[in-house]
Amino acid sequence: MPPKSAPAANAAPSSAVQTLWKAYNDSTSDRLKFIDAFLVFLMLSGIVQFAYCVLVTTFPYNAFLSGFGSTVGQFVLTASLRSQVNPENKNEFKDVSPERAFADFALGSIVLHFFVFNFLG
Amino acid sequence: MPTAFPLPSDLSPATVTNTASLLRIVALSLISGAAIASRLFAVINFESIIHEFDPWFNYRATRVLASKGFYEFWNWFDPTAWYPLGRVVGGTVYPGLMATSGVIYNFLHALNLPVDIRNICVMLAPGFSALTAWATYMFTKELKDESAGLLAAAFIGIVPGYISRSVAGSYDNEAIAIFLLMFTFFCWIKALKLGSALFGTLAAVFYFYMVAAWGGYVFITNMIPLHGLVLILMGRFSSRLYVAYSSWYAIGTLSSMQVPFVGFQPVSTSEHMAALGVFGLLQIVAFTQLVRSHVSSKQFQDLLFLALVTVGLLGFVGVVGLTYKGVIAPWTGRFYSLWDTGYAKKHIPIIASVSEHQPTAWPSFFMDLQFLIFLFPAGVVLCFHQLRDEHVFVIIYAAMASYFAGVMVRLMLTLTPVVCVASAVAFSSLLDTYLDAAEPAEAADDASETASASGSNSGSKKAKKATASAATPGSALGDIVAAATPAKKGEKVKGIFGLDTRLAIIVNAFGMLAFFVFHCTWATANAYSSPSVVLASTNPDGSQHIIDDFREAYYWLRQNTPETAVVMSWWDYGYQIAGMADRPTLVDNNTWNNTHIATVGKAMSSSEEVAYPILRKHDVDYVLVIFGGLLGYSGDDINKFLWMVRIAQGVWPEEIQEPNYFTPQGEYRVDDKASTAMKNSLMYKMSYYRFAELFGGGQATDRVRQQQVPKIGPTLDYLDEAYTTENWIVRIYEVRKEDLLGRDLKSANAFAKGKKRKRSKPVSRRRAIVN
Amino acid sequence: MLSFYSLPLFFLSLAGLLHAKSSDGDSVLVLVENAHKKDFSLFFDDLKEQGYSLTFRAPKDEKPAVVEYDVPAFSHIIILASESKNFAKDITPQSLVEIVSGGTNLLIGLSPKQTPLSSLAAEFSLVLPPPGTPLISFFPERKDPVSVIPIDASLPSTILPAMSPVWFSGVPFAHGNNPRLVPILHAPAESFAADSQGGADVLVDATEKGGEGLWAGSQLSVASGFQAAGGARVTWLGGVDMLSDKFFKKQVSKAKSGNARFAREVSAWTFQESLVLRIDSTTHHLVNSTTPEEHYTTNDNIVFTAHISRFHPKTATWEPYSGIKDLQLEFTMLDPHIRTALPAVAGSPGTYSVTFRAPDRHGVFKFVVDYKRKGWTHLHSSTTVALVPPRHDGYPRFLSAAWPYYAGAISTSVAFFVFSAAWLAGESREGKKAKGGKAQ
Repeated sequence: MPPKSAPAANAAPSSAVQTLWKAYNDSTSDRLKFIDAFLVFLMLSGIVQFAYCVLVTTFPYNAFLSGFGSTVGQFVLTASLRSQVNPENKNEFKDVSPERAFADFALGSIVLHFFVFNFLG
Repeated sequence: MPTAFPLPSDLSPATVTNTASLLRIVALSLISGAAIASRLFAVINFESIIHEFDPWFNYRATRVLASKGFYEFWNWFDPTAWYPLGRVVGGTVYPGLMATSGVIYNFLHALNLPVDIRNICVMLAPGFSALTAWATYMFTKELKDESAGLLAAAFIGIVPGYISRSVAGSYDNEAIAIFLLMFTFFCWIKALKLGSALFGTLAAVFYFYMVAAWGGYVFITNMIPLHGLVLILMGRFSSRLYVAYSSWYAIGTLSSMQVPFVGFQPVSTSEHMAALGVFGLLQIVAFTQLVRSHVSSKQFQDLLFLALVTVGLLGFVGVVGLTYKGVIAPWTGRFYSLWDTGYAKKHIPIIASVSEHQPTAWPSFFMDLQFLIFLFPAGVVLCFHQLRDEHVFVIIYAAMASYFAGVMVRLMLTLTPVVCVASAVAFSSLLDTYLDAAEPAEAADDASETASASGSNSGSKKAKKATASAATPGSALGDIVAAATPAKKGEKVKGIFGLDTRLAIIVNAFGMLAFFVFHCTWATANAYSSPSVVLASTNPDGSQHIIDDFREAYYWLRQNTPETAVVMSWWDYGYQIAGMADRPTLVDNNTWNNTHIATVGKAMSSSEEVAYPILRKHDVDYVLVIFGGLLGYSGDDINKFLWMVRIAQGVWPEEIQEPNYFTPQGEYRVDDKASTAMKNSLMYKMSYYRFAELFGGGQATDRVRQQQVPKIGPTLDYLDEAYTTENWIVRIYEVRKEDLLGRDLKSANAFAKGKKRKRSKPVSRRRAIVN
Repeated sequence: MLSFYSLPLFFLSLAGLLHAKSSDGDSVLVLVENAHKKDFSLFFDDLKEQGYSLTFRAPKDEKPAVVEYDVPAFSHIIILASESKNFAKDITPQSLVEIVSGGTNLLIGLSPKQTPLSSLAAEFSLVLPPPGTPLISFFPERKDPVSVIPIDASLPSTILPAMSPVWFSGVPFAHGNNPRLVPILHAPAESFAADSQGGADVLVDATEKGGEGLWAGSQLSVASGFQAAGGARVTWLGGVDMLSDKFFKKQVSKAKSGNARFAREVSAWTFQESLVLRIDSTTHHLVNSTTPEEHYTTNDNIVFTAHISRFHPKTATWEPYSGIKDLQLEFTMLDPHIRTALPAVAGSPGTYSVTFRAPDRHGVFKFVVDYKRKGWTHLHSSTTVALVPPRHDGYPRFLSAAWPYYAGAISTSVAFFVFSAAWLAGESREGKKAKGGKAQ
């Protein structure tokens, strides 16, 4: 972060993060929170794998790519699902009903996992 | 509402829709039929044969795949290519084409249709061209409407720019790749439009197929991110973009790494970094959007924007740094040659030596695209006019592809689809405008009213707009016509009046279409259907004369040499020798090892004494050269010779120097004035060996270079002429074994011819006296 | 001393009676002028005793033809017609080279005069002195003319065992730079090529005539062998008198001359009786297998085995031979990637075997055995085999280093299913709720 904005940022984040968290808690439905929990899990899994790759070994590079790729892929697919079922985005996704969104998500994930396991060994 | 010509009024809307879709289906099947039929000229004029050079390898690989199965093909190590290095074929091909043919072959055989694998290979390209027409239809439909789609399908079906790579027998990666390209783009557009992960996944799957089929997949890899980036910069970020791009990239990248030849490139080379960067950028932007939806503090947004820029810059610096450190592979030479057309000639002669890597000549644009090249800009302008997300895509595609097509001849192929699409949009807008029966009569009244009552200016404007939209519903051209005229002269009414204007334009337009069809048919029949394995000439009486020297020579090799006999030739003919003669070759069209090619170049451009150890070291039994001097076949080895010299010079700059092969005046000659290096080179000797004898003491003329060849031709001591074809196009020489008495072959030859050798002094005589 | 030498000679000649044969066939054509035929009767008788069938032909005769239907008609040819300037049409230097390439062995005697054979000698990298200058030596002091020289042969060489001095009369020659030449008998150190009629100034004359210097010393040969690439052997003798009855019987310092023995040994070598080897077969296979593979994988452990036999003239049979100590195997692609000793296997005569690890480089490799020793048959064997990279399933899978990734991928999949199930469950619940709400 550039030093110029540092003083402003100093004061802002603590309150901003708080308001953000509050707003999030208030305005997000349980289902979306459930998705977010899944997203957090995927992110943690991805970070662990990446750290292992950087710190320990990159040797089975394909295994790393597939493991890491599976978390990233699953993450973005789930995030897509999240934005599709989010009622706020209703008018962006006119043709995608929540059911359709879940079907897309499931299909995409299955294709993803197929490639992941093909690439793993 | 008045109409320019009577319209049937007693049709129900359902009937109209049904008829329209039936007509569309009929039209599409007719287009497919035309697309396939026009590609059969090659089979009719010649025969069902695999064309050119690369297809011969694909064909050979497909045969292995069909006979031994996919796993054996994957593990196929070809010991006969690049002798003695061998080639790991499974890991160095794009297997999509062979796999496609293999699947079709197995499918047909499962149905008890014993189709020969060669016929599948020959007919694959025409078959896929029908699919390409369909994919283009779908793509254009998303841009405009069905009628534009049909036009685009018809254009791509017969346009010479695409036919040149997909005639029957042209069994190359491009044959299926263009279909995959268009279909991937269609899925991408659709995914973006709907925000559907399904189409994103579909796009990824077809992208995977494309990666497996053609090295040109990098075009998609960069087009889609570029489109995404442009949309973000235009402030058009939406969750739909996020969904479409993320699902495409996540699955597409992982799947593309399954192809052995691609391997880890998608995460390690510069060509693929743009896609990764845009992916990261999208995540950040999406996250920002999410946060923004919860917080609406102005200061906070600024902060986020700043953070965004910082992260973006850091990412860019990181990529550059990693490239510099070598973690990410730098751009390859082929890539540089896309930006600097002189680069390849300077640094990588092997790339520059390929004729299809040369910059495109202007006439070939017209040859390949005919009147589409004029309509193309109009279509692009119309895209600007609407500028939905998919139109942005077409505009970017048009800009990129135009540039690349100008740089490299072979990339004309990627330009062709977008030209067809844009031209179809333009052409169908034209037809929409002029075929519409509605007369702007209402407006005429309106106009006369406004002419009298000059005060109600704003009202007339509204009316005019209404007229325009009524006259050309959904037609962009009408809008343009309307927009182009100054608004203040609102009194003038826009629209098409009467039948005569319509007829004039329509007849013209159809005339252009008819000429286009004629041109396409002519170009296909005459220019693009030659297999180049078999040449055709015309007899004085107009009948066709087939020159079949290549196959004659290859079959001679096949019948008369041991199976392990190694054949050396310039790399152009490697695949054909492997495919038709079934003999090991030193180098072939898969130009992966520059040094090996340079070795062949050195052998060809050196004198016999220098070349002989090279030949022996590589176990060469036969040397094959292409010589067009007798027939006037200009694609022969003497004309390619300078490339051999240049490539050899790149590796052995001390031994081979290009200027030595020119006359002191800087001319490239083969006659009496040819330079010494030229006359002593193996290539010259093999080409002109005994050539003058053919003229029975008369003046021997090389018909390609229009020069008089010396009456006393070159002599060969280390090679024996083994075979020369009917028209002297292919000449095969056998490499002699070492002399059995350990002499050098030159003096052995002199002895065998009965020449007296000079009395030599004993070598060790001085030592003898001391001892 | 005499008995010591003659006893083995006796046994040898006795063994010769047991019908020894060449490994190449026993038909011999002798080109000799009819007038001189009887001069070599002892030599011919000896050959006949060895089991050869001799056919005589005068140099200008047309029959019997040397080559019939493009096939050499004789296994061996002896040319003793050294004085002839003209031969029949089918005997020219060129045709003789052709014959050698067909595998026929030649034994050629030269003369001091310029004959077609002198120009042939040049092709074999032999350099002859100027015409008319035979080898002369004033030592040791003797009654004979200076051009008739006893040459000491007491040091054994590859081809000749130690033997009594050999009488020689004829031209010497120098060796060109050709590895195929095998010296058999050197000229004495104090001899030189000169005009034997020259008298006292002979040395001076010879020096002048030689051009750049004197043709002298022990580097000159009077008998040389040549091993052509096809396996044929050619022996050049400086003079035909070496094989004559006169020299056979002539005594050297009151002992019997070595000429008979010399003739026997030289003809035995030339006619492929002695120092003849062959590779019977070569095989290669993986360490734990016995069948040869079409191709090997990089880093495989490969066993290469060669079986070598030597010809035994006494029994006229090939017997396994383990006596080669310096045999080498090369594993070559353009250059040798591996060069290793190929030792004899103890307890298995004639077998040479080595186990080595293939290089980590794919390509078309050759097992090359190339054994070239002067005098011995050149052994060459080349077997082509492809070395391929491991198959797609030939690499190790499921590495322990990768378990975090496996865990990651599997946990993601499991989490995906759990998530989907929970989502669907939640959906149905929500749906019920919504329905319930509507109902209310």
